[in-house]
Amino acid sequence: MLALIYFIVLSIIAVGSAVCVLLSRHPLYGALSLVCSMVSLAGIYGLLGSPFLGVVQIMVYAGAIMMLLTFVIMVLNGARDSKTPMFDKVSLFVIPAVIVLAGLVGFAFVRSSFDFDVATIRGSVAITSKTLFDVAQTGPGYFVLFEVLGVLLLSAMGAAVLLAKKRLGSVDSEKTEDKH
Amino acid sequence: MELQAIYVQILALVIFAIGLIVAVSRRNVFFVLMGVELALNAVNLSFVGFAKTLPADASIVGQVVPLFSIAVAAAEACVGLAMVILIFRNRESVDADTYSNMKG
Repeated sequence: MLALIYFIVLSIIAVGSAVCVLLSRHPLYGALSLVCSMVSLAGIYGLLGSPFLGVVQIMVYAGAIMMLLTFVIMVLNGARDSKTPMFDKVSLFVIPAVIVLAGLVGFAFVRSSFDFDVATIRGSVAITSKTLFDVAQTGPGYFVLFEVLGVLLLSAMGAAVLLAKKRLGSVDSEKTEDKH
Repeated sequence: MELQAIYVQILALVIFAIGLIVAVSRRNVFFVLMGVELALNAVNLSFVGFAKTLPADASIVGQVVPLFSIAVAAAEACVGLAMVILIFRNRESVDADTYSNMKG
Protein backbone atom coordinates (compact mmCIF):
# COMPACT_ATOMS: atom_id res chain seq x y z
CA MET A 1 0.00 0.00 0.00
CA LEU A 2 2.79 2.39 0.97
CA ALA A 3 4.68 1.44 -2.18
CA LEU A 4 1.62 2.34 -4.24
CA ILE A 5 1.36 5.78 -2.61
CA TYR A 6 5.05 6.45 -3.26
CA PHE A 7 4.65 5.26 -6.83
CA ILE A 8 1.64 7.49 -7.47
CA VAL A 9 3.39 10.57 -6.07
CA LEU A 10 6.60 9.93 -8.03
CA SER A 11 4.75 9.15 -11.25
CA ILE A 12 2.65 12.31 -10.98
CA ILE A 13 5.88 14.31 -10.60
CA ALA A 14 7.47 12.47 -13.54
CA VAL A 15 4.54 12.87 -15.91
CA GLY A 16 3.89 16.47 -14.82
CA SER A 17 7.45 17.55 -15.46
CA ALA A 18 7.43 15.67 -18.78
CA VAL A 19 4.38 17.74 -19.77
CA CYS A 20 6.32 20.82 -18.64
CA VAL A 21 9.07 19.84 -21.10
CA LEU A 22 6.43 19.71 -23.83
CA LEU A 23 4.90 23.07 -23.01
CA SER A 24 7.80 25.20 -21.81
CA ARG A 25 8.98 27.97 -24.04
CA HIS A 26 12.62 28.45 -23.13
CA PRO A 27 14.90 25.39 -23.46
CA LEU A 28 16.44 26.07 -20.05
CA TYR A 29 13.07 25.61 -18.32
CA GLY A 30 12.60 22.46 -20.34
CA ALA A 31 15.98 21.15 -19.22
CA LEU A 32 15.18 21.83 -15.55
CA SER A 33 11.82 20.04 -15.89
CA LEU A 34 13.64 17.14 -17.52
CA VAL A 35 16.03 16.91 -14.54
CA CYS A 36 12.99 16.80 -12.23
CA SER A 37 11.44 14.02 -14.30
CA MET A 38 14.67 12.00 -14.30
CA VAL A 39 15.14 12.29 -10.53
CA SER A 40 11.62 11.05 -9.89
CA LEU A 41 12.21 8.18 -12.33
CA ALA A 42 15.32 7.31 -10.29
CA GLY A 43 13.07 7.16 -7.23
CA ILE A 44 10.78 4.75 -9.07
CA TYR A 45 13.80 2.56 -9.90
CA GLY A 46 14.64 2.42 -6.21
CA LEU A 47 11.02 1.60 -5.41
CA LEU A 48 11.01 -1.25 -7.91
CA GLY A 49 14.13 -2.76 -6.34
CA SER A 50 16.95 -1.49 -8.57
CA PRO A 51 18.72 1.07 -6.36
CA PHE A 52 21.98 0.81 -8.29
CA LEU A 53 20.23 1.76 -11.51
CA GLY A 54 18.56 4.68 -9.77
CA VAL A 55 21.91 5.99 -8.57
CA VAL A 56 23.40 5.61 -12.06
CA GLN A 57 20.36 7.41 -13.47
CA ILE A 58 20.94 10.36 -11.14
CA MET A 59 24.69 10.45 -11.77
CA VAL A 60 24.73 10.01 -15.54
CA TYR A 61 21.37 11.39 -16.71
CA ALA A 62 20.51 14.09 -14.21
CA GLY A 63 24.16 14.87 -13.61
CA ALA A 64 26.28 14.48 -16.71
CA ILE A 65 23.91 14.57 -19.68
CA MET A 66 21.71 17.36 -18.39
CA MET A 67 24.74 19.36 -17.30
CA LEU A 68 26.06 19.08 -20.86
CA LEU A 69 22.69 20.08 -22.31
CA THR A 70 22.30 23.06 -19.97
CA PHE A 71 25.85 24.14 -20.71
CA VAL A 72 25.27 24.08 -24.47
CA ILE A 73 21.95 25.94 -24.11
CA MET A 74 23.74 28.65 -22.15
CA VAL A 75 26.69 28.80 -24.54
CA LEU A 76 24.50 29.08 -27.63
CA ASN A 77 22.09 31.49 -25.89
CA GLY A 78 18.90 29.93 -27.22
CA ALA A 79 16.87 32.84 -25.87
CA ARG A 80 18.00 34.76 -28.91
CA ASP A 81 15.78 32.50 -30.96
CA SER A 82 12.54 33.03 -29.04
CA LYS A 83 10.76 34.05 -32.23
CA THR A 84 10.64 30.41 -33.36
CA PRO A 85 7.08 29.14 -32.93
CA MET A 86 6.74 26.21 -30.54
CA PHE A 87 4.59 24.06 -32.80
CA ASP A 88 3.76 24.04 -36.47
CA LYS A 89 0.99 22.49 -38.55
CA VAL A 90 2.67 19.08 -38.56
CA SER A 91 1.97 18.84 -34.82
CA LEU A 92 -1.75 18.70 -35.54
CA PHE A 93 -1.20 15.32 -37.18
CA VAL A 94 1.65 14.06 -35.00
CA ILE A 95 0.00 14.47 -31.60
CA PRO A 96 -3.21 12.51 -32.38
CA ALA A 97 -1.13 9.82 -34.11
CA VAL A 98 1.10 9.34 -31.04
CA ILE A 99 -1.93 9.35 -28.72
CA VAL A 100 -3.64 6.69 -30.83
CA LEU A 101 -0.44 4.62 -30.84
CA ALA A 102 -0.17 4.89 -27.05
CA GLY A 103 -3.83 3.93 -26.74
CA LEU A 104 -3.31 0.81 -28.85
CA VAL A 105 -0.24 -0.28 -26.86
CA GLY A 106 -2.04 0.46 -23.60
CA PHE A 107 -4.98 -1.65 -24.75
CA ALA A 108 -2.58 -4.53 -25.45
CA PHE A 109 -1.05 -4.08 -21.97
CA VAL A 110 -4.43 -4.15 -20.26
CA ARG A 111 -5.49 -7.27 -22.17
CA SER A 112 -2.27 -9.14 -21.38
CA SER A 113 -1.59 -10.48 -17.91
CA PHE A 114 1.73 -10.23 -16.14
CA ASP A 115 2.60 -9.62 -12.55
CA PHE A 116 5.58 -9.15 -10.28
CA ASP A 117 7.48 -12.33 -9.47
CA VAL A 118 7.78 -12.73 -5.71
CA ALA A 119 11.09 -14.60 -6.13
CA THR A 120 12.78 -11.72 -7.91
CA ILE A 121 15.89 -10.31 -6.28
CA ARG A 122 16.90 -6.79 -5.39
CA GLY A 123 19.40 -5.40 -7.90
CA SER A 124 21.97 -4.18 -5.41
CA VAL A 125 25.46 -3.06 -6.31
CA ALA A 126 27.02 -6.39 -5.32
CA ILE A 127 24.80 -8.60 -7.47
CA THR A 128 24.80 -6.23 -10.45
CA SER A 129 28.57 -5.89 -10.50
CA LYS A 130 28.99 -9.64 -10.04
CA THR A 131 26.91 -10.22 -13.16
CA LEU A 132 28.48 -7.38 -15.10
CA PHE A 133 32.10 -8.37 -14.48
CA ASP A 134 31.68 -12.13 -14.60
CA VAL A 135 34.77 -13.08 -16.65
CA ALA A 136 34.19 -16.81 -16.36
CA GLN A 137 34.16 -18.87 -19.55
CA THR A 138 30.56 -19.91 -18.96
CA GLY A 139 29.40 -16.50 -17.78
CA PRO A 140 27.09 -14.13 -19.65
CA GLY A 141 30.02 -12.14 -21.03
CA TYR A 142 28.74 -8.65 -20.30
CA PHE A 143 32.28 -7.48 -19.64
CA VAL A 144 33.06 -7.56 -23.38
CA LEU A 145 30.09 -5.26 -23.98
CA PHE A 146 31.39 -3.06 -21.18
CA GLU A 147 34.76 -2.69 -22.90
CA VAL A 148 33.05 -1.93 -26.22
CA LEU A 149 31.06 0.79 -24.46
CA GLY A 150 34.29 2.31 -23.21
CA VAL A 151 35.57 2.51 -26.79
CA LEU A 152 32.21 3.95 -27.90
CA LEU A 153 32.29 6.70 -25.27
CA LEU A 154 35.90 7.53 -26.13
CA SER A 155 35.14 7.76 -29.85
CA ALA A 156 32.03 9.86 -29.13
CA MET A 157 34.17 12.24 -27.10
CA GLY A 158 36.74 12.47 -29.90
CA ALA A 159 34.02 13.04 -32.49
CA ALA A 160 32.45 15.77 -30.35
CA VAL A 161 35.77 17.55 -29.96
CA LEU A 162 36.43 17.33 -33.71
CA LEU A 163 32.94 18.57 -34.57
CA ALA A 164 32.72 21.45 -32.14
CA LYS A 165 36.26 22.77 -32.55
CA LYS A 166 36.43 25.91 -34.62
CA ARG A 167 39.58 25.20 -36.56
CA LEU A 168 41.52 21.98 -36.75
CA GLY A 169 45.29 21.80 -36.81
CA SER A 170 48.32 22.74 -34.79
CA VAL A 171 49.24 26.18 -33.48
CA ASP A 172 51.53 26.79 -36.45
CA SER A 173 48.86 26.07 -39.05
CA GLU A 174 46.44 28.37 -37.24
CA LYS A 175 49.04 31.14 -37.38
CA THR A 176 49.53 30.71 -41.11
CA GLU A 177 45.77 30.67 -41.63
CA ASP A 178 45.46 33.92 -39.79
CA LYS A 179 48.19 35.45 -41.94
CA HIS A 180 46.46 34.66 -45.22
CA MET B 1 -4.47 -2.47 -3.36
CA GLU B 2 -0.83 -3.13 -4.13
CA LEU B 3 1.62 -1.90 -6.74
CA GLN B 4 0.94 -3.87 -9.91
CA ALA B 5 3.43 -4.48 -12.72
CA ILE B 6 1.01 -2.99 -15.24
CA TYR B 7 1.10 0.42 -13.55
CA VAL B 8 4.83 0.70 -14.24
CA GLN B 9 4.28 -0.18 -17.89
CA ILE B 10 1.45 2.35 -18.24
CA LEU B 11 3.68 5.05 -16.72
CA ALA B 12 6.50 4.13 -19.11
CA LEU B 13 4.05 4.26 -22.02
CA VAL B 14 2.79 7.72 -21.03
CA ILE B 15 6.32 9.10 -20.67
CA PHE B 16 7.37 7.52 -23.96
CA ALA B 17 4.38 9.08 -25.73
CA ILE B 18 5.18 12.52 -24.28
CA GLY B 19 8.84 12.13 -25.29
CA LEU B 20 7.85 11.13 -28.83
CA ILE B 21 5.50 14.13 -29.11
CA VAL B 22 8.25 16.46 -27.86
CA ALA B 23 10.81 14.98 -30.26
CA VAL B 24 8.60 15.12 -33.35
CA SER B 25 6.43 18.20 -32.92
CA ARG B 26 8.64 20.78 -31.19
CA ARG B 27 10.71 22.94 -33.51
CA ASN B 28 13.53 23.99 -31.22
CA VAL B 29 16.37 21.51 -31.70
CA PHE B 30 17.13 21.37 -27.95
CA PHE B 31 13.62 20.14 -27.32
CA VAL B 32 14.09 17.47 -29.99
CA LEU B 33 17.13 16.17 -28.10
CA MET B 34 15.29 16.37 -24.78
CA GLY B 35 12.38 14.40 -26.20
CA VAL B 36 14.74 11.66 -27.32
CA GLU B 37 16.23 11.53 -23.82
CA LEU B 38 12.74 11.30 -22.31
CA ALA B 39 11.78 8.43 -24.61
CA LEU B 40 15.01 6.57 -23.77
CA ASN B 41 14.24 7.00 -20.07
CA ALA B 42 10.78 5.54 -20.54
CA VAL B 43 12.23 2.49 -22.31
CA ASN B 44 14.65 1.96 -19.40
CA LEU B 45 11.73 2.11 -16.97
CA SER B 46 9.85 -0.45 -19.05
CA PHE B 47 12.91 -2.74 -19.01
CA VAL B 48 13.15 -2.59 -15.21
CA GLY B 49 9.43 -3.11 -14.80
CA PHE B 50 9.42 -6.19 -17.00
CA ALA B 51 12.57 -7.56 -15.37
CA LYS B 52 10.77 -7.64 -12.04
CA THR B 53 8.20 -10.04 -13.48
CA LEU B 54 10.93 -12.61 -14.15
CA PRO B 55 12.42 -15.07 -11.66
CA ALA B 56 15.69 -14.35 -9.87
CA ASP B 57 18.40 -15.27 -12.36
CA ALA B 58 16.73 -13.73 -15.38
CA SER B 59 15.84 -10.49 -13.60
CA ILE B 60 19.50 -9.43 -13.38
CA VAL B 61 19.48 -8.89 -17.15
CA GLY B 62 16.90 -6.17 -16.62
CA GLN B 63 19.38 -4.36 -14.36
CA VAL B 64 22.31 -4.66 -16.76
CA VAL B 65 20.73 -3.72 -20.10
CA PRO B 66 19.50 -0.27 -18.88
CA LEU B 67 23.04 0.46 -17.70
CA PHE B 68 24.30 -0.01 -21.26
CA SER B 69 21.36 1.98 -22.58
CA ILE B 70 22.25 4.89 -20.26
CA ALA B 71 25.87 4.79 -21.47
CA VAL B 72 24.77 4.83 -25.12
CA ALA B 73 22.45 7.76 -24.32
CA ALA B 74 25.44 9.62 -22.88
CA ALA B 75 27.41 9.08 -26.10
CA GLU B 76 24.39 10.12 -28.17
CA ALA B 77 23.91 13.35 -26.21
CA CYS B 78 27.63 14.14 -26.54
CA VAL B 79 27.71 13.79 -30.34
CA GLY B 80 24.26 15.33 -30.81
CA LEU B 81 25.10 18.48 -28.88
CA ALA B 82 28.41 18.82 -30.75
CA MET B 83 26.48 18.67 -34.02
CA VAL B 84 24.04 21.30 -32.72
CA ILE B 85 26.97 23.60 -31.91
CA LEU B 86 28.44 23.00 -35.38
CA ILE B 87 25.19 23.71 -37.22
CA PHE B 88 24.27 26.67 -35.03
CA ARG B 89 27.58 28.30 -35.92
CA ASN B 90 26.66 28.16 -39.63
CA ARG B 91 22.95 28.88 -39.45
CA GLU B 92 22.57 31.13 -36.37
CA SER B 93 19.28 29.40 -35.56
CA VAL B 94 18.01 26.60 -33.35
CA ASP B 95 14.89 26.02 -35.42
CA ALA B 96 15.03 22.43 -36.66
CA ASP B 97 13.26 23.40 -39.89
CA THR B 98 16.18 25.52 -41.02
CA TYR B 99 18.51 22.52 -40.85
CA SER B 100 17.47 21.40 -44.32
CA ASN B 101 20.63 21.86 -46.36
CA MET B 102 20.78 18.13 -47.13
CA LYS B 103 17.40 18.26 -48.84
CA GLY B 104 19.05 18.89 -52.22
